[in-house]
Amino acid sequence: MQATGLRPSKRLLIKIVLAGLLLAASYTLYLDFAVRERFEGKRWELPAKVYARPLELYPGLKLTVTEMNAELTLLGYRETASPEEPGSYCWNNRTLDLVSRPFPFGDGFQESLSLRILFSGDRVQRLSDRTSKKPLPLVRLDPALIGGIYPDKKEDRVLVKLDQVSDPVLDALIAVEDRRFFSHCGIDLRGIGRAIVATSTGDSVQGGSTLTQQLVKNFYLSAERTLQRKLTEMVMALLLELHYDKLEILETYLNEVYLGQDGDRSINGFGLASRFFFAKPVSQLDLHEAALLVGMLKGPSYYNPRSNPQRALQRRNLVLRVMADEAFITEGMLIAAQAEPLGVVERQSRGTSPYPAFLNLVHRQLRQDYRDEDLRSEGLQIFTTFDPRVQRAAERALSRRLPQLEKARGIQPNSLQGALLVTSTQNAEVQAVVGGRDPRFEGFNRALDARRPIGSLIKPIIYLTALQYPERYTLMTRLDDSPLVLQQPGTKDWAPENYDQKFHGEVTLLESLSNSYNVSTVRLGLKLGVSKVMSNLKQFGLAREVPEYASSMLGATPLSPLEVTQIYQTIASGGFNAPLKAIREILTAEGKPLQRYPLVVEQVVEGAPTYLVTVAMQEVVRRGTASNLGSYLPSALEVAGKTGTTDNFRDSWFAGITGDHLAVAWVGRDDNQPTSLTGASGAMSVWGTMMADLNPEPLILPEPENVEQIWVDPVSGLRSGAGCRDAIKLPFVTGSAPTEFAPCSRPSVGKSIKGWFERIFDR
Amino acid sequence: MTTKRLFPLLAASLLLASCALLPPSPSQNRAVLSLLDQANNQITAGQLDQAGASLERAMRIEPLNPALWQELAQVRIAQGRYQQAENMAAKSNALAEGNRSMREKNWRLIAEARRNQGDDKGAQAALDRASGK
Repeated sequence: MQATGLRPSKRLLIKIVLAGLLLAASYTLYLDFAVRERFEGKRWELPAKVYARPLELYPGLKLTVTEMNAELTLLGYRETASPEEPGSYCWNNRTLDLVSRPFPFGDGFQESLSLRILFSGDRVQRLSDRTSKKPLPLVRLDPALIGGIYPDKKEDRVLVKLDQVSDPVLDALIAVEDRRFFSHCGIDLRGIGRAIVATSTGDSVQGGSTLTQQLVKNFYLSAERTLQRKLTEMVMALLLELHYDKLEILETYLNEVYLGQDGDRSINGFGLASRFFFAKPVSQLDLHEAALLVGMLKGPSYYNPRSNPQRALQRRNLVLRVMADEAFITEGMLIAAQAEPLGVVERQSRGTSPYPAFLNLVHRQLRQDYRDEDLRSEGLQIFTTFDPRVQRAAERALSRRLPQLEKARGIQPNSLQGALLVTSTQNAEVQAVVGGRDPRFEGFNRALDARRPIGSLIKPIIYLTALQYPERYTLMTRLDDSPLVLQQPGTKDWAPENYDQKFHGEVTLLESLSNSYNVSTVRLGLKLGVSKVMSNLKQFGLAREVPEYASSMLGATPLSPLEVTQIYQTIASGGFNAPLKAIREILTAEGKPLQRYPLVVEQVVEGAPTYLVTVAMQEVVRRGTASNLGSYLPSALEVAGKTGTTDNFRDSWFAGITGDHLAVAWVGRDDNQPTSLTGASGAMSVWGTMMADLNPEPLILPEPENVEQIWVDPVSGLRSGAGCRDAIKLPFVTGSAPTEFAPCSRPSVGKSIKGWFERIFDR
Repeated sequence: MTTKRLFPLLAASLLLASCALLPPSPSQNRAVLSLLDQANNQITAGQLDQAGASLERAMRIEPLNPALWQELAQVRIAQGRYQQAENMAAKSNALAEGNRSMREKNWRLIAEARRNQGDDKGAQAALDRASGK
């Protein structure tokens, strides 16, 4: 390179300055790009919101005052002396005055209603509009939010538009955080100067950053405090103001800021904070509430009104003072607002959801149709079938019964585990899922993922398969329960035994199922064909291939409680298979219907055999292995059920059907060791405890067309008559009932009754 | 017999006769009736998805009411979802017990659904069931 003599240093300086300017310009261009890209695109990842079913109130609905209160608590409604604001209520004895929250349902907007609800006994008796005094046939409340599907950062927010934010919030924010927000250009030199002075005198209320700078800091920059970062922040603030108007910046700020923590979920933006602390939308915030939230910006955990109420109160009152000094409020308003209590609603920390097991099922069903990243960022609204009332009963039953069982039977404390699923019988909606004795635990979900041998829960499927051939099998068909040895080349001989270690000779099909005899069942299953039974299992809704062994006839096949529920669902709905459903509908973040999950049914087995096997399962509860259910529930409910116990008492199962619910319970140990519990003493006691709480409907089975009720003698299995001793009425597929009559012995004769065969020989 | 004594008898029999002529109400529950009304309005407005959803709400209140399953079968036919229409009508039949007119209508719906799926033989079989053959 050739030097030009005298001024090399000056030329170098010019070069350096030019290069510096170029660098600064391109850095500014880069910042400009960054500023715009984030602002133009999707500004936040919004978690999917998961809702419980909305409570439908109508006269005649089974709902106690206690249950109504639990629903109101879950919804975050506030008790007040005279309810006027949406989301508030008041009790007068058994009359509930309530102002419902408006809600944008998928099928239309539900306006807020002022209601009067009268409770009588365990039911809603009357429902009326408090304004017009007119009776109402049906009211749908807003659904409770029960959780979310979160992005990795677990930031949660409810987006609000600027015009939804109440004026006190904006006034407080401007007064305290950035007085000249509407006049500065992104940075406020006077403010910075003032802040320096104020900080040095120790009288700091306001930081030097404008709202724009704070937004930039939150939005684009890391938390480090260096001069370079401060300069970048200022440049970006200027650029942001250049591109976007004040109101848009303000709105973004209101939605962005961090205001608290709920477990591992962070509370961001005024929309969510308003609901989280005051259980109301941000449009309804009063002056003192707005001042509290704005005051918390300075240190959301330091000024947390739940954990540090005194500090929060002082900070709030300071904010109010500043608002008065800046003439946003009058002295009178100041005094009134400062006299208010904090007004924060009580709320237990929930984290991402109080119902992790149910959320788990929802998430799994969603992943069949959606990409996980969309679920975690698009703010989808997911309306589920979750019934908090049923869930409460299920949780309570499991977490109370397991310690009781341990204590009563000398089982090691905290060794038992369990799972419980509840659905509605006809539409296959999953109402409750409990994945273990601690229902809040977010880990292993036994209801979905614990696969255990189902034991005798397989039997109704075997008997139903038999009853599909009415010319060969009826409830009175005699089965052989004498000793059996199975010899198969290459395997050890297998000699199934009964639970009581006896053999019962000839038994009726009804007796064999109701007493859960193993030997006669294995014989029956082998005669029908193991593959025939297992293919029925698939027809009934088992989605997986399972091996076909002779031991499958005694339930060696391991299934999850969810899979068992799916299979029993088909029995509960009379032979119609319906995929278990946890989601009803999905809306976009803006409330547009995205996907509906309509009810889908398919008849997979005829009504008659299903009806017959359900009647036999009622006999299980009436006189068979589940007869002790009578100590939990009135016999008039005519519950149909089946117990299941596996080798050495490792697994205790019960599946049962009432008029409105199907529920499957499992009790066992995570390490698969024996528990000493049978299906009846373990799982059934959990099931019974829960159902007693739920006050279920009796099971009244609609009779299929081709079924007739015939009097029979249960001992001989022959036809009998209405007045004959011990005669029972049983259903038969038309034409399949026994034709031969047993001699009728009148009960009035009063002599001891012997078997029909004996009587023949007596004659 | 005097007319005084005859009058109540006459009134009673007239009342009975008029009851017999009116179609039976699909439900005794006013909440269910209001949802049925809503579903009918939605059908008229061509909002079949919403009508289906309203009927499902009604079925959560009265899951064993065959009239509701039948209504849903009709909505499915209008939506062109014939397989589900047939299934819903079959479910209604399973719940209908002795209600012959309900069953007859269900078989007609099944016939219509089958015809629309190109199963003319199945449709005829269903029509035969409808007419009690």
